[in-house]
Amino acid sequence: MTKTPVEAAAPVNDTAHYSLHLYVTGGTVRSIRAIANIRKICEVYLKGRYDLDVVDISQDPMRAQSEQIIAAPTLIKTLPLPLRRFIGDMSQTDRILVGLNLYPGGAALLPRGEL
Amino acid sequence: MTRQVENEVPDSRSVLALVEENSRLHMRLAEAEETLQAIRTDEVDALVVQSVIGPKVYTLQGLDAETMRFRGEMLAQVSDAVIAVDRDERITYINAAAEKLYGVTTSRALGNTLQQVYDLRWLNPTDEVSAHTALGDFGEWRGENIHIRSDARELNVESSLTVLRNIGGDATGRLAVVRDITERKLHENKLQVSEVRYRRLFEAAHDGILIIDPATSKIIDANPFMTQLLGYPHSDLIGKELFEIGLWKDEHASQDMFAKLKLSGQVRYENLPLERVGGEHQDVEVVANLYEENGRSVIQCNIRDISERRRSEAHVEMLMAEVNHRAKNLLAVVQAVAYQTARQGDPATLMTRLSERINGLAVGQDLLVKNQWHGVDVADLVRGQLAHFADLIGTRVSLSGPKLRLTSEAAQAIGMALHELATNAVKYGALSNQEGCVDIAWQTLPASQQTFDMSWVESGGPAVSVPTHKGFGHTIIGRLVEASVQGVTQIKFEPSGLMWRLTAPLDNAVNPGGPASVAV
Repeated sequence: MTKTPVEAAAPVNDTAHYSLHLYVTGGTVRSIRAIANIRKICEVYLKGRYDLDVVDISQDPMRAQSEQIIAAPTLIKTLPLPLRRFIGDMSQTDRILVGLNLYPGGAALLPRGEL
Repeated sequence: MTRQVENEVPDSRSVLALVEENSRLHMRLAEAEETLQAIRTDEVDALVVQSVIGPKVYTLQGLDAETMRFRGEMLAQVSDAVIAVDRDERITYINAAAEKLYGVTTSRALGNTLQQVYDLRWLNPTDEVSAHTALGDFGEWRGENIHIRSDARELNVESSLTVLRNIGGDATGRLAVVRDITERKLHENKLQVSEVRYRRLFEAAHDGILIIDPATSKIIDANPFMTQLLGYPHSDLIGKELFEIGLWKDEHASQDMFAKLKLSGQVRYENLPLERVGGEHQDVEVVANLYEENGRSVIQCNIRDISERRRSEAHVEMLMAEVNHRAKNLLAVVQAVAYQTARQGDPATLMTRLSERINGLAVGQDLLVKNQWHGVDVADLVRGQLAHFADLIGTRVSLSGPKLRLTSEAAQAIGMALHELATNAVKYGALSNQEGCVDIAWQTLPASQQTFDMSWVESGGPAVSVPTHKGFGHTIIGRLVEASVQGVTQIKFEPSGLMWRLTAPLDNAVNPGGPASVAV
């Protein structure tokens, strides 16, 4: 029996409003990819109930310090609690969905074409 | 003892808190491990390192953060909107000018598609195809189109698109530099409307208009009426000086005008003789103004054809002189009529006779004024003098003769004669009973000198006898009318009725050129 992550086992959160902050570094490849990927995820799974704040830490390093960012791209989910961090270009959709509590445990993966 | 045991065994709330804390720490640890793993596996492209002067960002590929920030600040300062998109049309960069232009924030725009920032409308349906072709073939396109913001505001923009490529040369997206030209377009449109409006005035004006360069004194534009006025085609006017097109008689006179114009800003010439291309002269009024046009001086010359006005003024002058002359003549005639009437008539009826004769004069005068002193038709004169017997015309009074226009002098004298003849006919002649008739006829007779012939023949009235004395009426139908046309009268008191006939040289009695073919 496969051990299911705690959050993935929890019921899918389909009404809460999400507050997300994506910390990127200017126009680097991964930053651009991370922005595009997280927008796609939000548009498919959180349409109409999310705020995405994209922060360029090369323009605003102090913001990185205050949020304890050590690498970019980093996505922080501040709401709903608990706070979660994700590192990388946000291309691991399944992992992001689980981390955002948007992935129903045991359900089949959504077809890739969806994103 | 019990207390000691209670202290050593944690309660369920403390256990739950410890579990939660443990879970949180596990999660933080997992995140830290994920971060380290991501750094090791090259999934991040920047690290934030604490330094003595604060956090410092190091990028792990390409440009360092300082260079990127410098580049970003430069683009942020650019007044044109700059937007980059990836191959999926998602925005990867947007500068401050673009944020302002489209009313969006960077954090909202990044990762979104262009359509979420603005809608695009091409000015011409073919532009879209040519833009795609140019981007495909040359990697760039520049042109104008309309961007519609999310608040429906339309922006006229000038876009410059460039295909972005990676080191391998593969297209990775596009860079758009967008300039808002809405204001400029608005001004251009206003200018266009103004240009059309004033060009129409210029083209359709019924005054000649010349635009002249004061530096060279040469014509730089002329309206169609100017070519009509001068007889030169438009192309022949351009580059010419005024004296060369017959507006001023020589170069000196033309230069004199320019000197006055530069001094006062405006000159006006009430009457200049314009010489047309064929050499004929035309009277014109010229008003020239010096004004500024986009920082340089130009002269606008308005040239008005005043031939018609001059003709009208000459006609008025002629009429004034004629009226003056006629008034003096008339007063002399009235004076003579009054004197003769008083001398030869019955004192008891003096006022009546004088009044009737002056009325007779007034009838002729009315007809002359009506015709602006250009003479009176014979038939109109006869009908005017016989107005009291209008109902008899066609029955007992017959009129016959061609349409002839008497001169003013002849009309006045013959009018008075007709008045005297009618008065006599009513008192003593053919119109004093119920049966008498009067035949009034006029004609032109061909002879060595063409003659005007007019007659008054009465019949059917009381028997006529030759009067014992000749009054002023006789003078009017005789000598007075003879004198006015250098003609000859015959007056016969036939038993059947009075016969009066006037013959005179045609030129003395009738206006030359008057139609003579229409019978009354």
